[in-house]
Amino acid sequence: MNPALSDRAARVQPDSTWPAIIVQSATEVFQLMLNSNIEVPPTPPSERQGQVCAMVGLAGSLCAVFRIRCSKESAHSIATKMLGGQNPDDEGAAYDALGEMANMLAGNFKGKISGLSDSCALSVPTVVIGEDYDVYPLSGGHQIEVHLVYEGKPVSVTLELSG
Amino acid sequence: MKPIRVLIVDDSAVMRKIVERCLRQAGIDLTEVVEANNGLEGLAALQGGKVDLILSDINMPAMDGLEFLHGLRDVENAKNIPVVMITTEGSESRVVEALSAGARGYIRKPFTPDQVKERVTPLLEGVR
Repeated sequence: MNPALSDRAARVQPDSTWPAIIVQSATEVFQLMLNSNIEVPPTPPSERQGQVCAMVGLAGSLCAVFRIRCSKESAHSIATKMLGGQNPDDEGAAYDALGEMANMLAGNFKGKISGLSDSCALSVPTVVIGEDYDVYPLSGGHQIEVHLVYEGKPVSVTLELSG
Repeated sequence: MKPIRVLIVDDSAVMRKIVERCLRQAGIDLTEVVEANNGLEGLAALQGGKVDLILSDINMPAMDGLEFLHGLRDVENAKNIPVVMITTEGSESRVVEALSAGARGYIRKPFTPDQVKERVTPLLEGVR
């Protein structure tokens, strides 16, 4: 059994530094895997954008879901860059790439939070396609959302925390 | 360097391709790349012949990388084959567990081609 799930580790509480840590984690993943920079827009987009959402669950001392959401075009671009400029074979490869981005982002993030690295396990990624859906927070939960810009297109990263 | 046959175990096809590209960029001559979606498929693939190097993700469905490592002990074709784990896990305990179970190294995602080269090339000295 994953040690993160084998005992009741003390819950790690989010704090005001987490949005900046999420941005830093995302920046590192985009730079290392895509050789691309991302930016934080001066103002968040007025409405939801992006038809592809990749999610990774966290369990243990932090129960949460990490989500990265972007357009199909951005997911395709991410896959192309991950593959060294080679176009992905099919649409599924673009979603696969975004799932891996979510996985790396969640792993990178948890490695930066004191007490989280050894006490929190990641799920395998899940990808949802579509725009017209809502995510209902678990009891007492809340979310931290950061808005980013990749190649001029919006990308949102959300940490959905359970209570 | 002698051409090698490599097994890459990861539930992401994109990640398997990235790892293959990194190995080629490192100047490693790959005669064949055997791919597996998870540990179970990885063990099955080894029944088809010996490889010179195994790279495996840890966090996978069906059979994860640590179970795969333990399973390799019973596979004749895996004897003395270097295994490198590739993981998003920042968890030291998972890495220590992997090394204790026989992994010869690990690479943390996200990674650069240079990091793959640094970790893998020394392990191939024996097959040069």
